[in-house]
Amino acid sequence: MKKLILALAITLTAPVFAADNAEVKVSVKGMVCAFCAQGIEKKFMAQKEVESIQISLEKKYVKLKFKKGESLSNEKIIEILKESGYDADIGK
Amino acid sequence: MILRRYIFWLILVWPWTSVLAHPVSYQDGIGIMSYNSQKMNELLLTYSFTPRFALAHTYLRDSGSEFYIPRANLLLRRWNEPDSQANIYTSFGSGSEKFGTKVSSTHLGEVVLDWESRKYYTYLEHLYLRRNNAANAALPQQDYNHTKLRLGFAPFLADYGDLNVWYIAQFDKHLDETKIETTQFLRFYMKNVLWEVGASFDGSIAFNFMIHI
Repeated sequence: MKKLILALAITLTAPVFAADNAEVKVSVKGMVCAFCAQGIEKKFMAQKEVESIQISLEKKYVKLKFKKGESLSNEKIIEILKESGYDADIGK
Repeated sequence: MILRRYIFWLILVWPWTSVLAHPVSYQDGIGIMSYNSQKMNELLLTYSFTPRFALAHTYLRDSGSEFYIPRANLLLRRWNEPDSQANIYTSFGSGSEKFGTKVSSTHLGEVVLDWESRKYYTYLEHLYLRRNNAANAALPQQDYNHTKLRLGFAPFLADYGDLNVWYIAQFDKHLDETKIETTQFLRFYMKNVLWEVGASFDGSIAFNFMIHI
């Protein structure tokens, strides 16, 4: 049931991720410390699909720029944020 | 990945190491933290297998004793809110205490609570070390208890990649001492390096350092 709700929420908030584009912007909860957020940059930059990352504590988002023809699924983005210790704010 | 784990284990077994960073960081993250004052030194090394579990090793020198303690760190609960984050950590481990020329076993238990926003920072830690007094009559009678409270604020809001500056007041209480020691710190961090310089009211200085690899 939880997976169903999560899948529905991701689908309904598709503009948050805009997966068809070369860039996606994800709202992140709990990202208040630049030192602790290092893990987000390290984890995403370890993905071969990711060309660059922009993190804003002020605007509470992570913006990913993918290499040409590459992308990450919404589930993978959420998983990487989890591994970094944060939650995607899919309600925004 | 293999190289990172090799480096971690190499450092872990190196004789003079080490202590803990944030008790648990991101998956596959290595943290090195060092607390230093004129009374004590602490060095901590952690490797986070998941965002909720890390193995670590502590070296602590205080009150004539030296502790070498491998430990496990657990993130019990995290609250990720839009403008703040709060955590509850616990740690436990067993190792050795060197006091004078004698060495005895010791056991560690620690609880850490923290809450922070981009503007404010609070941190409460209690460290308990059970000493094996029966094995070493030269040890002090009481177990080692140390409570640390930290309250801080950022004078300006810096973003990711900027130099972040914080003022932090730290209050330390050892069970066997009646007074609470107050130390004021300036904390700086940028990218994956954090350092703090501090001074207590009795004039002693402190320096803390932390890095995420």
